Amino acid sequence: MTFNPLEQRGIPLDRQVRSWRELNVEPVDPDRCDPYTRCRIITMNGIEVEAILFSHQLARNTVDPEIKRQLARVRYIEAQQQKVVNWLLPGVSSVLETTIAYEQVAVDLTAWVARMEPDPYLKQAYQFGVLEDFDHLYRYANLYEMIEHRKAESIVDNLTEVMPGRPTKFHHRDPVDNVRDPYAKDETDPLSKLHALTIMSAEQQTMNFYMNTGPTYMEPIARQLYQEIGLIEEEHVTHYESLVDPGETWWEQLVNHEYNECYLYYSFMEQESDPKVKAIWELHLNMELEHLHTACDLMRRHDGREPQEILAPELPNVLTFEPNKQYLRELLDTQMDLTTLGAGYVREAHERFEQMQEQIHGGEEPPSERVMAEHDEMFGREYRVQSEGEHPDPAMREK
Amino acid sequence: MSELHTPQAGDDQAQDTDVVALLMRQHGDIRNLFDEVEAATGEERRDAFRRLVRLLAVHETAEEEVVHPFARRGFEGGEQVVEDRLAEERAAKETLAALDEMDTDDPEFMPQLMQLRTDVQEHARAEERYEFTHIRRSTDATALAAMAKAVKAAEAMAPTRPHPGVESGAANVALGPVAALMDRTKDAVRKAMGNNG
Repeated sequence: MTFNPLEQRGIPLDRQVRSWRELNVEPVDPDRCDPYTRCRIITMNGIEVEAILFSHQLARNTVDPEIKRQLARVRYIEAQQQKVVNWLLPGVSSVLETTIAYEQVAVDLTAWVARMEPDPYLKQAYQFGVLEDFDHLYRYANLYEMIEHRKAESIVDNLTEVMPGRPTKFHHRDPVDNVRDPYAKDETDPLSKLHALTIMSAEQQTMNFYMNTGPTYMEPIARQLYQEIGLIEEEHVTHYESLVDPGETWWEQLVNHEYNECYLYYSFMEQESDPKVKAIWELHLNMELEHLHTACDLMRRHDGREPQEILAPELPNVLTFEPNKQYLRELLDTQMDLTTLGAGYVREAHERFEQMQEQIHGGEEPPSERVMAEHDEMFGREYRVQSEGEHPDPAMREK
Repeated sequence: MSELHTPQAGDDQAQDTDVVALLMRQHGDIRNLFDEVEAATGEERRDAFRRLVRLLAVHETAEEEVVHPFARRGFEGGEQVVEDRLAEERAAKETLAALDEMDTDDPEFMPQLMQLRTDVQEHARAEERYEFTHIRRSTDATALAAMAKAVKAAEAMAPTRPHPGVESGAANVALGPVAALMDRTKDAVRKAMGNNG
């Protein structure tokens, strides 16, 4: 089935504001919901947060008050969408449980995008990043068992394995080595633009989440682990945002944002297992179609170009949450020891990398290592979920 | 599937010098037992449910004897926070008592158990957020450790490991009804707190 958002009309903008009653959504069951429903919620929250922040930045760079007002109208609706989406998360979940769900998003969303990405340089960027999120999931899962005596399996439900990725302590690179080369806006596949925007938004939301919730923990090891992984999220946002061509005009970027929102709501509507959540994806898609038309009008007016020139002729294949276990195992087998140098990737620990490592670790074990030591003291073992067999890298097998 | 067994109450080498950390782990143990009951059938379910009832009983009794009295006088507004928690505990105990009289194969059992799971989980998070936070803030390490010791004494009253085969029935009989277990837990806690009255 083909779906072209440019040819569809949605709900008129002046009928999109929702009342308190409509905003007061019923959260999903914290323990029995489809884990990928929770992943879709977390992803769309990140997408809406980016929509809001991008629109604010655009407004701050806009002189014409009429356009500012127009941006404000759409942005208010997006703020309501964000509230509805994120309020699907249950209040009874702990921060750590939500964190583990965030890392499941990072793993399975990034892995899927890496698999589907047509451009080899961009593909490598996702392959590189996903092995780090994979390791974060493992560290947080061990922290979770220490604090709450619960297994991360009860959250990720065997859809995602939990075991070491590229060790977190090696994620701390010199910041200049986190800047990648951008795609070329006029040559790249339109799908690549959507991928970059999606992963950048998801990582940005993760960064925001950790930087704000980390200090709510009282346990010293939890506070420190959030600080460490929070800093890596800063690196990841730098990594992914630099993939986007900075030569895109503001209006072009706005169109890409709105188009991506249509793409993702459509994708999630197609695969959603929870009927109440599915109804929200469908409603929001119908809102986004109008936001997209508004953005297209702005682009035509200000850039004198047709949005069709920058967009795909039809919506790409739906973005899907599904297990990526074998794919991840291949990457674990081949890309564990990569780091970045300039805009590329190398296997050796180069001088700038070593310098950064010395500076940040200060000769001590970082929180991501200490959490494992403390877990071992408590249980005499690690927490892992290796449903598909032993770790592909013999050095990473449990001793 | 992971071959790791699910952590059980007391099933770690934690020093247990902080009553809040200990109770938070017990909240997880209770959730784990709910999962076990749900996943099991027949005799196994009966056994898992007995263990859940016991852990819930001693956990709530320990909180009522150790933590709530401390919170009541320990911080401003503590009185009301504890009242709210006690109301939740009373409601949970009623559901628990009803379930306790029901056969685990009864078609009504699972829906009620799921309701109890939700209620208990909301209660546990409310404790963690509105009561435990204040306890940690307003309590010194010695008091946290003393309370932890009392809760450990209570925990010892509720072995949560599965009993192999037919022994489970005998073990349950030996532990007696829930009310008697709660009484014994109270005694154990008071003894550990150095207060026999």
